[in-house]
Amino acid sequence: MTKQLTLTIDGVQVTVPEGTLVVDAAKMAGIDIPVFCYHPKMEPAGNCRMCLVEVGRPVIDRATGQAVMENGQPKIQFMPKLETACTNTVSEGMVVLTQTEKVTEGRKGTLEFLLTSHPLDCPICDKGGECPLQNLTVEHGPGKSRFLYDEKQHLAKHVPLGELIWLDRERCIQCARCIRFQDEIVGEAVLGFEARGRMTQIISLSEPGFDSVFSGNTSDICPVGALTTADFRFGARPWELKASASICSQCPVGCNTTFNTRREAKAGGEIVIKRVMPRQNEEVNEIWMCDKGRFAYHYAESAQRLVKPTVRQAKASWTDAFDLVTQTFEASKSDVVVLASGRLSNEDLFNLKSLADGLGGKSILYTDMGGGNLTAQVGVGQGTDLGKLGKGDTILVVASDLYEEAPVWYLRVKQAADRGATLIVANSRHTKLERFARYAIRYANGDEVKTVADLQGDSKIAQEFANAQNAVVFFGSDGLGLNGSANLAAACAKLLQDTKHVGKANNGLIGVWQRANDQGAWEMGFRPEADLASAFKNKIVYIVGADPAGDDPALALALKGARFIVVQDILETLTTHMADVVLPAQAYTEREGTYTSGERRVQRFYAAVPVHGEAKADFAIAGEIGRRLGLNTENGSAMVTFDRLAASVKDFAGLDTNKLAEVKPQWPIVGRGDLYYGGTTYENKQGLGVQLSTAAERGEAVSLPEVRAESALRPREDQLLAVPVTKLYDRGQTVASTELLTQRIGEPTVSLHPETAKRLGVAAGGRVSLAFNGLSAEALVKIDDTISAGVVLVPRSMGLAVREPVSVQVLGLAEAKVS
Amino acid sequence: MSLAQKYPNEVNQIMAKYPPEHKRSAVMPLLYLAQREEGYVTKDALKDIAQMLDITETDVASIVGFYSLYHDHKAGKYRMQVCTDLPCALRGADKFLADLCGNLGIQVGETTADGLITIEAVTCLAACDKAPMFQTQGPDGIKYHENMTVDKTLELIEALKSAGKEVK
Ligand code: SF4
Ligand code: SF4
Ligand code: FES
Ligand code: FES
Repeated sequence: MTKQLTLTIDGVQVTVPEGTLVVDAAKMAGIDIPVFCYHPKMEPAGNCRMCLVEVGRPVIDRATGQAVMENGQPKIQFMPKLETACTNTVSEGMVVLTQTEKVTEGRKGTLEFLLTSHPLDCPICDKGGECPLQNLTVEHGPGKSRFLYDEKQHLAKHVPLGELIWLDRERCIQCARCIRFQDEIVGEAVLGFEARGRMTQIISLSEPGFDSVFSGNTSDICPVGALTTADFRFGARPWELKASASICSQCPVGCNTTFNTRREAKAGGEIVIKRVMPRQNEEVNEIWMCDKGRFAYHYAESAQRLVKPTVRQAKASWTDAFDLVTQTFEASKSDVVVLASGRLSNEDLFNLKSLADGLGGKSILYTDMGGGNLTAQVGVGQGTDLGKLGKGDTILVVASDLYEEAPVWYLRVKQAADRGATLIVANSRHTKLERFARYAIRYANGDEVKTVADLQGDSKIAQEFANAQNAVVFFGSDGLGLNGSANLAAACAKLLQDTKHVGKANNGLIGVWQRANDQGAWEMGFRPEADLASAFKNKIVYIVGADPAGDDPALALALKGARFIVVQDILETLTTHMADVVLPAQAYTEREGTYTSGERRVQRFYAAVPVHGEAKADFAIAGEIGRRLGLNTENGSAMVTFDRLAASVKDFAGLDTNKLAEVKPQWPIVGRGDLYYGGTTYENKQGLGVQLSTAAERGEAVSLPEVRAESALRPREDQLLAVPVTKLYDRGQTVASTELLTQRIGEPTVSLHPETAKRLGVAAGGRVSLAFNGLSAEALVKIDDTISAGVVLVPRSMGLAVREPVSVQVLGLAEAKVS
Repeated sequence: MSLAQKYPNEVNQIMAKYPPEHKRSAVMPLLYLAQREEGYVTKDALKDIAQMLDITETDVASIVGFYSLYHDHKAGKYRMQVCTDLPCALRGADKFLADLCGNLGIQVGETTADGLITIEAVTCLAACDKAPMFQTQGPDGIKYHENMTVDKTLELIEALKSAGKEVK
């Protein structure tokens, strides 16, 4: 254990671990030392001088090594000048004074300087109302400036750092929090300072500007209104906003979030979401979130929202729709096939599964990735916190591009590597995480399983994995389809099981799923199906939260073989166009529920805005249909549904919604009163969620499938293989309706090896036509010299449907002549 | 043409001075090399250096932006960099700069019509006690000019002009 030291701050005795900074020690004791540049998640910089305090240390007699005593007390020697509380660590017997006249003068002086060229445009500044500079000026500022107003330094006020973040150079106080965040925490130094003195200003030269998927976080920690998001800029005043707790539904990380809402004239007097902010959960997302989660919420307000049921494409009442669906289901019973996606909540999936089971029908998970049955057995144990991994621990990331698939996991894994954890990144191509890996393994497509199996040999890497104190494996579907990823999952599970890295906290398997609640869907008993066409043939298909027809023309064709199609979704899609009955569902922002994250943490989200039109919650619709069919399904309350779920799904036993809503103190302290310290991230008052236990830690028998020797398709000499990869900003329904992201989504672009490109006569930025699975499409070309010459990387959900590796014909297209 | 193609020997020599894990330290000498010909670091050269050292372009630009000795845009044959920081300002640097500009008929940051002189205002050059002062950067390297007056400066400019002619 680290040594504990005792010091006195403003007369209060504080005992903290050795190495603690004075500013943090004070915070722990409830004493606020104002800061601008210091941030508890980053290394101190000491460049704003706001945290100046008086520091005294006991005088030590050189000869004896003992403290010199004076009137029975250790003699304290104060430094002649103020010291920065953010760069000084505590020492035994230290005396810190934060309220003396000298300190007050120091703060006044610092603020007077900071404000010499500040534009003081608080009335039109987005930060006004939650601005550390504003708040600390009111509290500690001089009230008057001696500087000449006319000699203010004027700088540019509307600088787009890319299309997502705007910079106001006059408001910047050069604290460098944003630069340090990008450099230290994210590892993408795309912000920097230029020039010196009063001319110092932020620059970003990346292409596109501010090229990082974490950019929004800088606006949370910027202590002034210098960095604002294009989404929220001039959108509302902070004090008009209400806060509703939620969980991000864009990826399996399950970042805790807050929706800020207000009633708005522009929206016809409706309550609308103005911005999404992170909510602290140190074991999940700390105080961060990614830009996809922050900006891609607009789909819930899309003009494509379904607001009324339709029967045979004509508007209908809920009664008529329910009647028809119930009659059809009743008449066909076991011919009913429920196809649902991990976009739905645990409650939705539970009711849908109960419905399918009650009818004797089939329930299929809509995904191209397998392995969820294994995470329930050898997933990470209760109490897992990636933030605790470091020296002596090992993390393997295989067939996953975490930066694109689950950004906050990228961030957390990168930081674990910074703390000394051994990071092994294995993939068939370069990914951003590789830079932080101790071992980067590049395998040939088709060698995924072999690569993992080799980690059980005698190689140095294998030894390091086996001997790790803790080991976590992330597996994904980069370059793989359902089959390949399921087999890879089995190989990873075996590796963990054989090396005894299962059944305890900070050990086990994590699936980097394609949708936020895929893990929950597996828990509820949904399973993927490789051959959807046969599954649909002559069946009554009930599709919930998925757009198979829009995703893949082959699936649209397959759906034509169905006898009757019911589609339940929030947006109009190609699939709803094919439906006999369409049931409008509520967006997750309009209702409550729970999701299960990839780390198997069950977390609650709450309603933030009123329901659109006549939409109903998915669980309620399924519950109502169930009731009409004589099943005892819940149709009213999501929380009652959760209780039923907990009573019948084994791994959820003992859980209830109150447990999910429990909180505990977290460090760093954040919240509205502590804006100056942690930023505008929200304090978690609504629940940290509960991690499910695994079969392994309950001591139950774990039965892992055989790892099949056959592997994913490999490229052959005479043909190219198209393999799917995931892109963060894609054309998926939940992303594309956010206009702000259009540029980052971009055109469908495939990656080719330089040699392949040469052979096809195309260069980067050129066009190719692709023919596969009987389809043909065009795409732009990107060159990637880290991939095999035999493969073409095709992004998922970008209009080129590749669900499994498949052989493809590629032709280079001549550039269109520009006249 | 990339830097490495243009000055292969020098680039190799510079890179050899730093251990591979600290290669980013080579940024300063590489920047010097990059601006040798044009007098400033072009966008392409910036990219080139970032790639060579495995750092971001923004990082390289920050360094160019910090030092008065690196430039990111073209200027006249000589850059005349007047320090206007606080100590120099107290010794009249502001007025000196304004008068000089007035005499030359240009603004700070601009270049004389003959392309000879660009006037720039910079931060401390470590000659605070000898203000007004400036440094010139030109084909003959960097030179300090201390305790200057406008007249002395105009003389200097004349000298630079004729020096240029002699060379021709
Ligand atoms: S933009 Fe904000 S965070 Fe960045 S240096 Fe300026 S004040 Fe600090
Ligand atoms: S990392 Fe995933 S869960 Fe977190 S904000 Fe981004 S998309 Fe949402
Ligand atoms: S110098 Fe300590 S907070 Fe900035
Ligand atoms: S302030 Fe001008 S040289 Fe130092």
